[in-house]
Amino acid sequence: MATEEEKFTSLINQHQGLIHKVCIMYENDPDVRNDLFQEIVIQLWKSFGSFRGEAKITTWMYRIALNTAISGFRKQSRNIKTEDIRESHFNISDHGEDNREEDFQRLQWAIQHLSEIERAMIMMALEEVPYEEIAETIGITQNNVRVRMNRIREKLRKLMDT
Amino acid sequence: MELDELKSIWKNNAPGFQSKDESQIALMLKKQSTSIIEKLKRSVWFELIFTLLAGMGMLVYALTLPSGALKWTSVSALILFVAYLFFFAKKLMLLNRYGLAHENVKSNLELLVNNLDSYLKFYKRSYAILYPFYFCLMLLFIGLERGADEFIAAITRPEKIVTLILLAIFFFFCSTWLTKWYLKKLYGNHLEKLKCLLHDLEQ
Repeated sequence: MATEEEKFTSLINQHQGLIHKVCIMYENDPDVRNDLFQEIVIQLWKSFGSFRGEAKITTWMYRIALNTAISGFRKQSRNIKTEDIRESHFNISDHGEDNREEDFQRLQWAIQHLSEIERAMIMMALEEVPYEEIAETIGITQNNVRVRMNRIREKLRKLMDT
Repeated sequence: MELDELKSIWKNNAPGFQSKDESQIALMLKKQSTSIIEKLKRSVWFELIFTLLAGMGMLVYALTLPSGALKWTSVSALILFVAYLFFFAKKLMLLNRYGLAHENVKSNLELLVNNLDSYLKFYKRSYAILYPFYFCLMLLFIGLERGADEFIAAITRPEKIVTLILLAIFFFFCSTWLTKWYLKKLYGNHLEKLKCLLHDLEQ
């Protein structure tokens, strides 16, 4: 019979991609990203006992991961400036030939220029999370999600065109 | 650019990451949380334990002293330490009010902003009360040291009264400024960031 801890580690193992994506979205420094990953796992573990399966497991994970990344975590080390990221990304893409890779790097760079709330929303949207679930996770109405998503899309378009 | 187009860019180049195995995840559960609330709790516990140890040391020292000003000083400091224990207990209560981060992002932000705000206000107010208290205590000890008659005669002179008032104002402003600066440096900037995020969500 698996213990609570074993059940939890296996669950995290299955869904760790979600946590990694949140970390990538909020931290550029690999060391800070690792600290954030660990903090999210600790917060999920603390909340695991009270999770009764009323919400989808991914909704519960998104809530805690995003809350930790947005409001509960204070980084210890330096932050890589977004300008540096763009430079490094474009340096790579200058030598590469794959347009899709370049588009992806431009998208990542543009996302870094969004506010923390907008980053949370676009990440869930890109991961095909339904608007209803995004609204539930962020704590706003579905209409508000639609309006904000239009604004975010417009911002990303402008940023990616520059 | 349509959302579907962005999704396709994202899907075709999903960000790479180094996946962790179950033993690495299990190891993380043994580590200490670095969340802001947990850090605050740890610092309050540290202050509490330090005060208890200092209080015990002071008690042992006071018991060895003969009657006199120094003994009274030690006893007063002990009373102050007891007051500090209530102060730490209240701080911990305020911090414990903040539960786990399983609310939605907006509710969690509201909860965190309210709790951090009331914690910092309590911190500022308690020091605003404690500093004048220390000032009065200092005057009392000078009185005990010099003798009541000489002390009263000294502090009733107009120039002494003016000096004392100026000193009290200077002491109060310096201490208030120091507390504000310390709290802003430690947690104020983080609180401002949280308030901005909440404002962004409420728009």
